Amino acid sequence: MNAAVMTNGTRDVSSPKNGVVAINGLTRRFGRGPAVLDRLDLTIAPGEFVALLGHSGSGKSTLLRTLAGLDPVHEGTVARPDSVSVVFQDGRLLPWKRVWENVVLGQAGADRRRRAIAMLEEVGLGHRVDAWPLTLSGGETQRAALARALVRRPVFLMLDEPFAALDALARLKMQRLVARLWARHGCAVLLVTHDVDEALMLADRAIVLDRGRIRTDITIALERPRHHADPGFIHLRGVLLDALGVHDD
Amino acid sequence: MPANVIPFASVPWHGRTVLRHVDAHALLRYVSPVILVLMWQGACSTGMVSTRQVASPVQVIMTGWGLLRDGTLGANLGVSLARAATGLAIAVVLGVGFALISGLSRLGEDIVDAPLQILRTLPALAMVPLFILWFGIGEIPKIALVALGATFPIYLNLHKGIRSIDPRLLEMARTLGLSRMQTIRDVILPGALPDLLVGLRFAVGMSWLMLVVAEQVNAESGIGHMMMEAQDFLRTDIIMVGLVIYGLLGLVSDQVVRLMERVFLSWRPVHQRGQGA
Repeated sequence: MNAAVMTNGTRDVSSPKNGVVAINGLTRRFGRGPAVLDRLDLTIAPGEFVALLGHSGSGKSTLLRTLAGLDPVHEGTVARPDSVSVVFQDGRLLPWKRVWENVVLGQAGADRRRRAIAMLEEVGLGHRVDAWPLTLSGGETQRAALARALVRRPVFLMLDEPFAALDALARLKMQRLVARLWARHGCAVLLVTHDVDEALMLADRAIVLDRGRIRTDITIALERPRHHADPGFIHLRGVLLDALGVHDD
Repeated sequence: MPANVIPFASVPWHGRTVLRHVDAHALLRYVSPVILVLMWQGACSTGMVSTRQVASPVQVIMTGWGLLRDGTLGANLGVSLARAATGLAIAVVLGVGFALISGLSRLGEDIVDAPLQILRTLPALAMVPLFILWFGIGEIPKIALVALGATFPIYLNLHKGIRSIDPRLLEMARTLGLSRMQTIRDVILPGALPDLLVGLRFAVGMSWLMLVVAEQVNAESGIGHMMMEAQDFLRTDIIMVGLVIYGLLGLVSDQVVRLMERVFLSWRPVHQRGQGA
C-alpha cells in the first residue's frame, strides 16, 4: 500500500529487522543550517506506545514526517513497516467527501461502507457517518481522522499532536479513546505531544528530543488506568519537566 | 483553513432552510429590474421618450409575441443557442484540458501556460477580421470566437484551483498511500471544482458577449442578425426584443451555473455559498 510513498523520495526506508521501527544515525539538516535531527537512534517495539516530547524546533515534527514518508532520508537508515497511519493535528479530512468516504479513502472492496461504519462506531462517531466534514466539531474531526487511520489496520500509528487544538474536556475524552483503541488494536504508537501529563497517561515510554538528539528516554512502568495523583506519576512528571527545562521551585 | 471554518460549520443546516434562503434571494434579484421596466413604460406612454428612439415595453412584448408566432424568433434563437452552446462546449474541453496539463505537471505548465497567458492579453474581438479571413462567414468563425473568448476564464480559474489545493491534504493523501490517479480524482479535482465553476460562470457571460459581436458581422441568422436587419428598417421594437432575449439568456445561464454550484458543492456550509463569485 505504501509502496508509492516509499519509492517517492524515501528509498532508504526498508523493513525493520527487530522492532517495528528502527532508526539508526538519522541526520537531517535544511540547507547549511544546524542539524534538525542529529545522528538519531530510536527503536520502537511492536505494540509499544511511545510519547515524543520536546520544544518547538526540537525536531519532533521532522522525525514524524520522516517516519511518515513525507520527508526524504539523506543520512542514516529508517526502517518501518509498510502499514503505517498518521493522524495530524488538524484532522485533514477531505471536505467534499462524506465522513464515511473519508474513512475508507483509497480503500477498495465492496464492503467499504460497512467497514467505515464499524470503525466510526468504534470511535463514537456512528451518528455522523453521512455528515459533511465541515459540519463536524474539532473533537469529531479528530475522531474521524482516528477512524481513517485505524481502518487500515496499521502496525504503526503516528499521532502528531492530535489533541492540541481541542478544548480540555474533548482532549480528556480523546485520550481515553486512544488508550482504549490502542489496547484493542495493539499497534505500535508514536504520539508527538507538548503535554507531559498526556504522555504519562498514555505511553509506555517517553522520549524527550532536544536539538535533534534524544535527551531523555524513560520507561513509564505505571499500572493502567493511571491517575494524576499517583506518587509515581508525580515523580515522572518532575523528571520529564526537568528534561524539558521546566523546573519546579 | 478547516480550523477556521469549524466553529461556524458546527451549526447543522437543512435543505429546506437553503431553499427558503434561495427563494427570497432570487425574488429580490428581480425587484429592481421590474421597477425599471415600469418607469420605461411610463416614459413612453407619457411621450417623454419618442417611440421612434425607444419602443415601449408593451410594444416590445407585442412584437416579441408576433416574432414568436411567425417562427422568426424561434429559428434565430435556436441558431444563436446552438452557436453559444457549441462554442462553450469547445471552450470547456480546451480550458479544462489545458488547465489539467499545466496544473498537474511542471513541464506541462512550462509548455502550456506561457502561450496562453500571452494570447489572453489579446482582446478576443480583435480576432474577428482574421477569423473571417480564415474561416469565411459561415458558422465556424462565430463558434471559434465564442470558444476563444470562453476558454480563458475556464483555464485560468481551474489552473488556479488546481495549484492552490491545500498542500496538507496532498500530504495526507501520500500518507494514506493514494496513487497519483486516486489523488487527482479524489483530492485535486474536487478541490478545484469551486474554481472551475467560477470560471464557467465567467465563460458563459463571455460566450454571449462574443456571440453578439459574431452575429452582427456577416451573419445570415441568429438573434444578432435579426437585430441588424431591424436596424435597416428602423424597427427599434425588434432590436429591443433582441436585447431582451440576450438579457434573458444571460440571466438564465447564470442561474444554471448557480444551480450547478449548489448541486456539486453541497458539501460547503451555507455561509460559504456564492463566495468567490
